[in-house]
Amino acid sequence: MSDSKDLSRRHFLGLAGKAGLATVAARAIGVNLGLVEILSAQTGKGAITPFSFAIITDSHLFSIPDHKFDKALADAVAQVNALTPAVDFVVYTGDIAQNGKEDQLVKGKKILAGLKAPLKVIPGEHDWYLDMGKAWNGMFGKETWSFDHKGVHLVGLNSILVRDFWTGAGLTAEQRMSTMEMLESPIAGPWGVREAQLEFLEKDVKKLPANTPVVIFTHSPLWDYYPRWNFQTEDAPQIRQILAKFDHVTSLHGHVHQTVFNQIGNLSSAGALSTSWPWPYPPVNLAYPGSQMTQSDPANTKDGMGTQSISFDASAAGLVQYEPFANSLTPWLKAGVKV
Amino acid sequence: MKLNTKTMKLSIGVAGVAVGVFGAMSLSARPPFTDAQIAQQQQDLLEVVNKGRDEWHGSNPQMSSNGLACGNCHPDAAASNPNTFPKFVPQLNEVAPMREMINWCIVHPQDGKALDPNGPDMVALEAYAVYLYRGQKIEPGYTLPLPADTVKSGVGFPAKPSGIGVDK
Repeated sequence: MSDSKDLSRRHFLGLAGKAGLATVAARAIGVNLGLVEILSAQTGKGAITPFSFAIITDSHLFSIPDHKFDKALADAVAQVNALTPAVDFVVYTGDIAQNGKEDQLVKGKKILAGLKAPLKVIPGEHDWYLDMGKAWNGMFGKETWSFDHKGVHLVGLNSILVRDFWTGAGLTAEQRMSTMEMLESPIAGPWGVREAQLEFLEKDVKKLPANTPVVIFTHSPLWDYYPRWNFQTEDAPQIRQILAKFDHVTSLHGHVHQTVFNQIGNLSSAGALSTSWPWPYPPVNLAYPGSQMTQSDPANTKDGMGTQSISFDASAAGLVQYEPFANSLTPWLKAGVKV
Repeated sequence: MKLNTKTMKLSIGVAGVAVGVFGAMSLSARPPFTDAQIAQQQQDLLEVVNKGRDEWHGSNPQMSSNGLACGNCHPDAAASNPNTFPKFVPQLNEVAPMREMINWCIVHPQDGKALDPNGPDMVALEAYAVYLYRGQKIEPGYTLPLPADTVKSGVGFPAKPSGIGVDK
């Protein structure tokens, strides 16, 4: 790929020297898509230098010393460090802790400090609802962020914000936390990113040209997968509307502890494996049933868990490759999922 | 007592007659319980179901030493349909009832102490799972088939989504 691009570039530069840029551009649009790509690279629009990054998520660390999930997160760090080529950065998509306790977050931060690549983090509900993110923010900074990397725009949002269900009910911080810990708890209601982050996103992408590849990280999926388990984000339709102008948006999320893929309009999304335990697939039909891994084996304590690497190439497509601890992948999941 | 074939056939025949007679009688018999009694029985059942729900989500310290509860891997008792038991359980290498599977999960992934298979805690856990799966057809030994396309290699995703599971 890079060889042919280099040839095209030389070819283009040669032509440009003879005929002038405008003429070549007009010809290129008609006859050679490769040259159009080079042209956009020349003008700084839509140029992507291929790169990869990794996702680790949902470690659910307990306060118990030497817990098996500590080891699982350490294994994930080692697995990501061993990826070749090395990843440019790592994104952690939520739920470092199980009960939102500071010691659990500290333990997670310490294990994640073993990563060779820089780390970006967003929170999950298990990190948040004991102290409403105080400890998390103190350790990992702002939960809403964006940055550009080699031609791709990346955004992280906190998608686990619920309406206040605790004040009226007179719940303690611990009761609030344990309510949020139960996946099928009907009390807390749907999650979302809410107004302030929608405004952030709108401003953040306002000046970006439509051909900029955008990658958005949230804890929960940006589509209505299974709302009962909060496999959804209430204001995902508004997020998708804000991002509608882009040619292609990639949504990568945690929370579901399983492989799952979906595509809505310009947004394609993929779920991440956890390092703690796999959730079973909820009782709904998937638009892409092939994105399910095989049912995990409870006798194999590492089955259905792992990490993933995502490689972006010059076409702006990302290839998600699951790196399971034990192999529960179907043949074509092994080949990688284009997002 | 070991029954020979002849005795078994006779027993089944007698039982069949007994069921037939009882069935005919029940058509003309008064309802066996008053509404108040039925309400009380329902209340008793729901109390046990609720106890089971709490134990499923970690209320019984005997069941776990590492913080994990049934609900961590089985929200809404997912992948735990009691109607599929007894079935062959690979972990136990034999056909086993659900309570043996529950105890396996308690002892291994949850690192806890096995419950009395006939005790009230186990009854409560089973009652919770049965309650959530009420109305589902009974298929002992049934296990979920893999999605049809998981066996195809190299095909990738279907060209078009079915539309199901996609929000509006």
